[in-house]
Amino acid sequence: MALTITCPICGKRNGYEFKFGGEEKGPRPDEKDLTPEAWCDYVHMNKCVAGVQQEWWFHKDGCGSWFPIYRDTTTNLEKPEPGGQK
Amino acid sequence: MMNRFNHLPTLKVDTAQKIAFIYKGKKYYGVKGDTVATALYANGIRIFARSLKYHRPRGLYSLDGECSNTCMEVDGIPNVRCENTLLKDGMVIKEQNVKGSAENDWMSFLDKLDWMMPAGFYYNVMHKPAKIWPIAMKQIRKAAGLGKISPDFEMPGKFDEIFLNTDVCVIGGGPAGMMAALGAAQKGLRVILMESRPWLGGFFEYRSSQYKEGETLHNRAGQLAKEVESFENIRVFTHTAAVGTYNNNLVTGFQIGKKDDVFNERYIEIRAKSVVVAAGCIERPLIFDNNERPGVMQINCALRMAKTYGLLPGKKAVFSIGHDLGLEAALELHDLGLAISCIADIREDGQDPVLLKKIQDKNILFLKGWVATKAHGRKLVKKVSLASVDGQVSKTFDCDLVVASAGMTPVTGHITVAQGTLKYDNHTGFFLPDQMPDKMHAAGRLLGLNDPLSIEASGMLAGLKAAFDCENCSIGEIGEAKKALENLPGPVRGTKLVTAPVKGRKSFICFDEDATIKNIKQAIEKGFDVPELIKRFTATGLGPGQGGIPGHNLPLYVAKYQALPDISIRPTNVRPPLVPTLISTYAGVNHKMFKITPMDEMQRKDGGIFRNIGVWQRARYFSNDLSCKKEIENVRSNVGMLDGSTLGKFRIYGPDALKALQRVFVSDMSRVKQGRIKYSAMCNDDGCMIDDGVVIKQGENDYYFTTSSGRAGQTAEWIRYHTRYDGWNFALVNLTDALGVINISGPNARKVLEKVVDIDISNEAFGYSEYKEFKISDTIPLRAMRLGFVGELSYELHVPSSYMKAVWLMLKEAGKEFNIQNFGVEAQNVLRMEKCHIILGQESEQRTNLLDVGLGFLWDRKKADAKTIGAVALHQAEKDQTRLKLVGFKMENNSRAPRDGALIVDDKVRGYIATARDSFSLNEAVGMALVEAPLSKIGTRLTIFEDECGDDRIYGKVVEMPFYDPEGKRMKM
Amino acid sequence: MKKLQRVSPVVFKSTPLKTESRDNWEVVMEYNGEGDGPYLVDLSHRPRFDLQDSNLAAQKPFGILIPETPGDCVLENGILANRMNRTQVSLFNLDADDTVSMPDEPGYTEVTESTLCVALIGKNVFSICEKLTALDFMDQLRKAPFLFQGPFSHVPCQIVTLNKAGDKSGLILTCSRGYGRDMIDSILHAGEEFGLKPAGESRFAKWIKEL
Repeated sequence: MALTITCPICGKRNGYEFKFGGEEKGPRPDEKDLTPEAWCDYVHMNKCVAGVQQEWWFHKDGCGSWFPIYRDTTTNLEKPEPGGQK
Repeated sequence: MMNRFNHLPTLKVDTAQKIAFIYKGKKYYGVKGDTVATALYANGIRIFARSLKYHRPRGLYSLDGECSNTCMEVDGIPNVRCENTLLKDGMVIKEQNVKGSAENDWMSFLDKLDWMMPAGFYYNVMHKPAKIWPIAMKQIRKAAGLGKISPDFEMPGKFDEIFLNTDVCVIGGGPAGMMAALGAAQKGLRVILMESRPWLGGFFEYRSSQYKEGETLHNRAGQLAKEVESFENIRVFTHTAAVGTYNNNLVTGFQIGKKDDVFNERYIEIRAKSVVVAAGCIERPLIFDNNERPGVMQINCALRMAKTYGLLPGKKAVFSIGHDLGLEAALELHDLGLAISCIADIREDGQDPVLLKKIQDKNILFLKGWVATKAHGRKLVKKVSLASVDGQVSKTFDCDLVVASAGMTPVTGHITVAQGTLKYDNHTGFFLPDQMPDKMHAAGRLLGLNDPLSIEASGMLAGLKAAFDCENCSIGEIGEAKKALENLPGPVRGTKLVTAPVKGRKSFICFDEDATIKNIKQAIEKGFDVPELIKRFTATGLGPGQGGIPGHNLPLYVAKYQALPDISIRPTNVRPPLVPTLISTYAGVNHKMFKITPMDEMQRKDGGIFRNIGVWQRARYFSNDLSCKKEIENVRSNVGMLDGSTLGKFRIYGPDALKALQRVFVSDMSRVKQGRIKYSAMCNDDGCMIDDGVVIKQGENDYYFTTSSGRAGQTAEWIRYHTRYDGWNFALVNLTDALGVINISGPNARKVLEKVVDIDISNEAFGYSEYKEFKISDTIPLRAMRLGFVGELSYELHVPSSYMKAVWLMLKEAGKEFNIQNFGVEAQNVLRMEKCHIILGQESEQRTNLLDVGLGFLWDRKKADAKTIGAVALHQAEKDQTRLKLVGFKMENNSRAPRDGALIVDDKVRGYIATARDSFSLNEAVGMALVEAPLSKIGTRLTIFEDECGDDRIYGKVVEMPFYDPEGKRMKM
Repeated sequence: MKKLQRVSPVVFKSTPLKTESRDNWEVVMEYNGEGDGPYLVDLSHRPRFDLQDSNLAAQKPFGILIPETPGDCVLENGILANRMNRTQVSLFNLDADDTVSMPDEPGYTEVTESTLCVALIGKNVFSICEKLTALDFMDQLRKAPFLFQGPFSHVPCQIVTLNKAGDKSGLILTCSRGYGRDMIDSILHAGEEFGLKPAGESRFAKWIKEL
C-alpha cells in the first residue's frame, strides 16, 4: 500500500499498520431530543468526499492510539490540515 | 554449437566454462553467463515457441523479455522468460503451446485461418447459441495459450523478502541512473540503485563507441560502476526489476538470486523520500509483414548477442532501422564478420555524418527513406523485401537475419503507475513525462536524450533534485547542474513511421496476443476509437510482455488511422507488475504467525488435535472421534479440564474507568461488587452483540474483565474509539497472554481442586458466581471464578502463564484418582449448547442484536441511552417484530442433527441453524436456530433444508431452552 | 511438594551448557554452539512493568527520570524505561544482578507474563530486521536507545534499539507471549543466512556491560 499515515506518537508509518475508523463526525449526540433519524444519521451517514476529508485512524500494530488525519480520497495520500499549519 | 567470440572486452560470458542443459530430452551445452535464450541460440535453436492464436513460429526478438516469444518451460516452471533467466547446470527446458514441436507444429494451419478470427471474435462469434460457449471455450483453450500448469503444481525454489527504507531510490543502473545515485550519495544520503540486468552499465555497457578521446562507452560504464560501488551509502541491486512504482514513493522490485544467495527470487519493498526514474528506452518495433518471423530481431538484440554473449546472430543480414544505433550496430557487426546486404534507414536525413562516412567506406548499400515490407521464408527468414517509405519502389534481398526497428521508445511505466502523466512530443515522437509525481524525477534516455554526456548530466541533475527533496541540496547547485545540461545536446529527432506500406494482415503489432494491424483496423471500424478500448477488444498489450512491444505503436497507429492531430494521442495505461513476476516472489516468506497457549505442549502430548481458530491454535478434539462422546460424558459425569487461555483478559483502572465500562457494556457496571462476578455484553451502535464476558472489581476504580477469544485483539481499540472525545482518565492493560486459563468442570471438580488449593472451596465458602484470589503453595497467584458455561460445577482458574504447566500438572496429579481427562473446544461447544449458552459468531452474526439472542435482561434501560453503545438502537429494535429470534429445537423422529448453517424454510428462507448436535446427555438431536419471530413459538415445526439435499427435508420442533438441567442445579452444586 | 517450575515462552533447540535457577525460572546462561554472532537471547524471565499515569512527569520509577518524548528511552541502573505515549511507559529490568520488585502503586502492572522478551545482538542485526519489518532502524534521526512500536514479522512489537553501531548492534524485542514459538522460528529463519544462533543470558550481560 502506497499510503503512509503520520501517527502523532510514532511518526510516519506504512498504511498497513493502521485501521480505518470512519469520517470525523464529532462526539456522540446528547440523548435529549434525539430522534431515531438523527441518531441513525450520526451512526450511518457519511459525506464520502471526493477530495480531502478528516477521518479517524487507529495505530493497530503500533502504539494503539486513535487520531484524526486529513486524507485526499482521490489520490489516497495524507494531506496537511486545509488552511492549517501541519 | 556456434563459435563464440572470446576477445571482446564487453563480453559477459566465460566461453571456457561449459554448462550442460537438457532441451527436449537432449543434452546441450551453453557457457557461463549465458541466458537460457542465448544458450539455445548458440545451439542453433531458432524457433523457440509457437504463438498464442495462430501457432506461428517465434524466435529471439529482444533480449530483455519484452514479449512471450521466448517464454518456455524451465525445470517444470511454465512461462519462464528465457531472455532474463541465466542458464544453470542441468536445467531442463521444454517448448510451450505446441502440438508436435515448435519446429513442426501441426496446429500451424491456424495461421491460414486468421480470416475466421477477426478482432474480438471470442466475444462476437462464440456466444450464440449459448450452449456452444462451454464447448468452444474448452477447444479454444486447448489450442491457444502459453505454458500449462497442473492444479497440484508446487513451486520449487526459495523465496525471500526485504523491506527497505532509503532517502533516494534510483530505478535503472545505466549511466543516468548511476550519475543520479552518485549525485545523491555525495550528499551523504542513503541511496538504493536498482538495475534489471545482472550488471550495471545500461546503454553504455555493450557499446564500443567513443565516450571521449581514448575512452569507449564500455570503459566509461565500468568506471561509473566502480565509483558507485565505492560508496558505502549506495546499495546496489542488480538483476532486480522494479515492478511497481507507486505514488508516495513506494517502489517494489524482484531480485533474482545469484549462486550464493539464499533465495531464488526476492521481493523488495522500498520506501524512499525521493525517486529517480532512469529506466532508459526500449526499441519501438517496426511493423511490416511477418515482422516476427524467426530471424527478425531488434538492433539491441543483434548487437548485444555479439557484444555481450559473443554470438554472431546470423550470416547475412539486412538492416531496416530508424535510429543511429542501427547504423552503429551494423558497423560493429560488419566488423565482427556479419555480411550486410543493405541498410535501409527510414529517415531521409539527420543521420550522424561520422557513421554515414564509415558505412560508405565499407561499401555497404545504404538506402535512405526505405523500409522492410515483408520477411519471406516459411519458418525462418530467407529473404526480405524492402520498399521506399512511400511504397513506390521495392527490392528483395536474400538474408538469414533482418535487424528491424522503427526507433526508440522510453520506458515510462514507472512514472504513469505512480500517477504521473505523459504528453506526446512531436520532436522525438515519444510520450515524454509531463506532470511528474511528487518527489519523483526522470533522467537519461527516458527524456529523449541520446548524447552520452547529456545522459550523464541529466542523471546528475535528477540526483541533486532528489537530494533537494531530502533537504540536502541547495537551489544553487541544482541551477548549475541544469545549466550544464542545457549546454549539451538535447533530445534527437525521432522517426514517426508506424507501419511499412503494407495491408497488415500479417503485420503484428502485438506478438503475445497475435494481434495484427488488420485487427486494429477492424476494432476501429467497429467503433472502438480510443487506444484503451482497442487494447481490450483486441487484447493488444495484454500479454506477458506487459505492452513492451505494442505500447508505443498502438496509440501512434490509432492516431494515424483516424487522422488525429498529434496532441490528441494518448498512450494506454500500464499497470503493475511492470514486468511479469512469479506469485511466489510476491508471497515471499510464508511466516505462519499463530499464538499458542501455555498449555500447548502438554495438550499435544495428551493427543490434542489442533485447529487454527482466529489468531490462536487450540486443541479442538482429544481423539479421532469428532463427536467427542467420551470427552462430553466425562465432563457430565466426572471431571474434565479445558484450556481456556485464549479468553481476552484486561485490567482497566483510573478515576474514569467506570465511565468507560458504562459506555461499552450494556449493564449498569456501577453495580459490580467485589468478590462477585458480573456477566455482561457489549453491543455496537446498532445494538448488535459484539462481545460478552465477565467483569470483576479488584479495588477502587480497578477492574478486571474478560472478553471472548476472538474479540480480545479489538477490545482496547473499541474502548478507546468510543471514548475518544471524552478525555477520560483511565488506563487499560491487555493481560490476555499474561494469564492462562484452566477450566475444571464436572461433578468431581471440587474434589480435585480441593487437593491443590489451601483455601476452603466448599459451596458455602466459594459459591456460584463468586470470585476469589489466592495463592497456591504460597507462590502462584490465582484468580478463580465459579462459572457454569458447560452447565456443570466448574472453576475457571486464571494462572500466570509461566506457572501454567506447574498448575496443570498438579491438577492432573490430583485428578488421577478420578481419572480426570482433557476436553477440547468441540466438546465444550456441545456441552454449552445443551445448556443453550451462546457463543458469539455461532448463535449470532453481524445483524443479531442482544434482544434476538434472549440476553435483553443484561441491558440496563435506565442508563443514559446515547452514552451506552447500542442502547438507542435496542430501544428501537424492541418494537420490531421482523427480527430473527434465537430458539431451541429438537429433531423429529429421533433423526440426526442438521448441519450448522442449514436453512430453515417454508416457501422461502425463514432462518438458519446456529448450532446443532446429537446430544449424548439427552439422547437426541438438539440445537439452536435463528428464526423469524412467528416461527419462534414453542411447538412450531421447523422445516430444514441442507446443502445438496434435493427435495428431501428434515424436521425439528421449537422447544424450551435450555435442554439440559433447566433449573441450573448442577452448576451451583 | 514438587518444585514449582516457571516456563519461558521461548524455547530453543540448542543444548544448554550452563543454567541458573532464579525465582523459579531455569535461566540458561550458555548454550552449546553459540557461534560468533549474531545472537538471540531469551530475556522473558526479566521482570517487566507497565506504568500508566495521566501525569507521568510526577513519576520517578526506580528513581529514573522518564524520557519526555514518546519513542525515547533511557537505560539507567539496569532499568530500561521506554516512553510509549503521553501517559504510558514500559520498564524492563535488564540487570540480572539487581532484580527489582514492582512498586505497590496503582499505576503499575506487572507484564512479565504478558510478553516474550528477546535480545537480538551482534553483527548484521539490522539485516535480519529488514527481512521481517519495514521499520527504519537506520534512520539517522533516531539515536539509540529508541523505541519502535510496530510490526515485526506481522506481529505488533515493542522494539528498543540499544546500539546501532556495526558488530556491537543490538535490540530488545517484546511481543505477545502467545507468539513465542512462531516469532522465534521466524527470527531464526531470517537470521540463518547470517549465522544467527541462540545464546545464553551471559552473552547478553556481557554485551550490555560494554554498551
